Amino acid sequence: MRRLEVDGIPAVLAPVTGPAHAGLVFRVGTADEPLARRGITRLVEHLVTDGLGATGRTSWTTGPEHTWFHVQGSPAETTEFLTGVCAALRNPPLDRLATVRDLVRGAQPERDPLPMWRHGARGFGVVSYPEWALPGLTEEHLREWIARWFTRDNAALWLAGDEVPEGLRLDLPAGARQSPPPAATTLAATPAWFAGGVGWDTVITRGPGAAVFANVLERRVHRELRDLTEHSRTEYVPRSDGTARILTVADPLPGRAEAALGGLVDVLAAVRAGQIDPDEVAAVVKLTCEGLRDSESRGARLPGQAFNLLAGREVQTLEEALAEVRAVTAAEVARVASEAYAAGLLMVPSGSTAEWAGYTAAPAMSEAVPPGRVHRGRRDRALRLISGDEGVGVTGHGVVAAVRWDSCAALLAWPDGGRRLIGEDAVTVRVEPTLYRGADRVVREIDARIPQRLRIEMPPRDRDHIPQPEPAPRDSGPRRYVTAAVCGVLALFFLSGGLWILVQSLAGAETDNPRGEELLALAGSLVFGALFARYCWATVRESDSRRG
Amino acid sequence: MLPAMLPRQPVLDPAAAYPLITGLRDALDSGDWPACRALLDAAGPVERTELTTVGLAEPGLATFLRGVLDGDPGDGAAAVLLGRHLLGADGPVAAERLLVDAAARSPRDPAIWTTRLSTARELRLGRSEADRRYGRLAEIDPHHLPGQREYLRQLCPEPGGDWEPAHTFARTAAESAPPGSFGPVLIAEAHLEHRRAEHGRRASAGRRYLAADEVRAELYEAARRSVWHADFRHGHGWVRVTSTFAMVFALLDDRPAADSLLTALGDLGSAYPWDHLGDPGSVIVKYRRRAAGGGT
Repeated sequence: MRRLEVDGIPAVLAPVTGPAHAGLVFRVGTADEPLARRGITRLVEHLVTDGLGATGRTSWTTGPEHTWFHVQGSPAETTEFLTGVCAALRNPPLDRLATVRDLVRGAQPERDPLPMWRHGARGFGVVSYPEWALPGLTEEHLREWIARWFTRDNAALWLAGDEVPEGLRLDLPAGARQSPPPAATTLAATPAWFAGGVGWDTVITRGPGAAVFANVLERRVHRELRDLTEHSRTEYVPRSDGTARILTVADPLPGRAEAALGGLVDVLAAVRAGQIDPDEVAAVVKLTCEGLRDSESRGARLPGQAFNLLAGREVQTLEEALAEVRAVTAAEVARVASEAYAAGLLMVPSGSTAEWAGYTAAPAMSEAVPPGRVHRGRRDRALRLISGDEGVGVTGHGVVAAVRWDSCAALLAWPDGGRRLIGEDAVTVRVEPTLYRGADRVVREIDARIPQRLRIEMPPRDRDHIPQPEPAPRDSGPRRYVTAAVCGVLALFFLSGGLWILVQSLAGAETDNPRGEELLALAGSLVFGALFARYCWATVRESDSRRG
Repeated sequence: MLPAMLPRQPVLDPAAAYPLITGLRDALDSGDWPACRALLDAAGPVERTELTTVGLAEPGLATFLRGVLDGDPGDGAAAVLLGRHLLGADGPVAAERLLVDAAARSPRDPAIWTTRLSTARELRLGRSEADRRYGRLAEIDPHHLPGQREYLRQLCPEPGGDWEPAHTFARTAAESAPPGSFGPVLIAEAHLEHRRAEHGRRASAGRRYLAADEVRAELYEAARRSVWHADFRHGHGWVRVTSTFAMVFALLDDRPAADSLLTALGDLGSAYPWDHLGDPGSVIVKYRRRAAGGGT
């Protein structure tokens, strides 16, 4: 493996037995995207490859920390593609923006809920969210994004072949090497759990022991959950900051979700208890070494080495990598397992918990709402919307959600006035003017407080997607009965009064009472009686329909 | 047996039938863990599990067992005794947290999986999780009666199951149990639970349920494969099995059958399933007198 430089970009080159290939990688990924720009890296990646008409086998990928453009083909095809990508980064085909945007929107990546619970709505957590920002991204946004991240100083190159392809020009503007994305956490205590499926992840110190542990875990999870799931997978994802994420997700068979959770809990408890079979570790070490040799011959270790260059790490030869892996013992794997368990985040099926297995519930709400003006819910006095100098929040029916003005990750704004604030800790505050009294004022405050760069304009909603006030389920029942009863009594009073006047006037036509006054009293009684009767009837009908 | 002996109350404490229980209690009382382990290690798998389920609520027991586990976290016997104790004293969460770790360290201990079937039911971890746990137990011992009883309770309607799967499981377990073993008692237990839950309030309805041709035939067949079989032995658990069939025949009004089983039990008896009918001691005395021909 050779270290070299191409047009100021650090590169690794190694000969391969199979077809030649090459890749250009930038230190930018979804973990660098603010939530209000989520999707912008993927959009750039598709825009600059759009219409290149490359003849080699090409692909492009955006990961959490890296975005890369890969080509397999002849030296001429490699040059054509990578030089084309760089040229397009210098002069993006912005006239194609609308078309490419539709393409990108049509193929949204599968969402992984675990990062949001661990990291919140920032950094590595952003990947859990939909790409809400895509429709509103402008040419200006793209230019800024490219200028910051897609530069010569934030790139690395790998070449799997005998030499640098002739004529390869990587003409990129200068910039700055970007540091790894910060890995903030919202978990107050681990191991933690939340509801959303069956899975688990952890973040630990990266290294060969962690990689071997991930493989041991994969085999055990597969064995334990084989009969309970459609499939399960375990991934080891090293990060530039010296940590690694290990992720296990399972897709339970119908009716088997709780058993899949139980099996996963038991596997994790076993590895934590040091139940690591030395024979299994030896088998995994052997397989890993075989895999490393095979990767080396195909040039599949090169992308990792290019990532290392971007992280300021030295490249690692095959011999060094093999020696590291061979040195891993069952005791080392058991030590890693214990660290991994302690930092774990368990995803349980909806309706389940994991307190029973010793996991702490991950925070799903705010502790309190900052002080401010209170707007009560329409027809539901238990609901409260509170807006103050520090932030905005809602409470009621066991929910406490608040977003501070200075830690808002994104604001979703609908044309009908609906607003959704997402805090950096992933707590969401929904402000629906239809649900609270005088909430228009809060909407105006939100719009004034939240900077434009955090705002995402959402498409108009159908009428049935706009929440409508509903009476609180509690204590309104008895109140309705009282209303109905009072109206009923009044209706009877007025109607019987009217009847009495009618009878009197018919029976005693010869009395002195002037007819006009009688008629007036009769009409008044009938009108009031009818009104109360109608109101009483409406109230009764409403209670009936609600009970159904 | 002399009629004069009949009104005597039966002895319901399992320790009367199984001296090992007293041995275990004494060893625990004197804090002699090596003696406890020697006793449990020498017991057969079912006997060992049964020994961990007898009432052990002595004060200081949790502290003692935690001390044992601190010294050897992998001691499955100490873990399952402590788990059972916690299940009664501190509730299922405390017990399950301990047993998750115990199962991780001793994955082939049937007593741990039996206790985890109890915690799964009390924690309402769901039918599929109970299936998984029973599956782990059955891999180790396919005829582990204490665990089969726990699983049968899970299948019943009370924790969210239904009668059909409960009876089916009892039949399957009974059919695959060796002749003369205790396993067929599961059929009797399933029907007695069914009788108590659905017809417990009216004795006549309960009798009609048990006396229905299919049920009755199943109960007799179960007795033939168990208590009436030549290979039936008085191993650990025989009292409850015999006592259960005795109640079945007492309720079916087959007095000779009930009488022979009650006679075999002598002074011994079990609270289950007689507690379905009231205070077990007096109920047994009543039915014993009736079965022996002492009037109705």
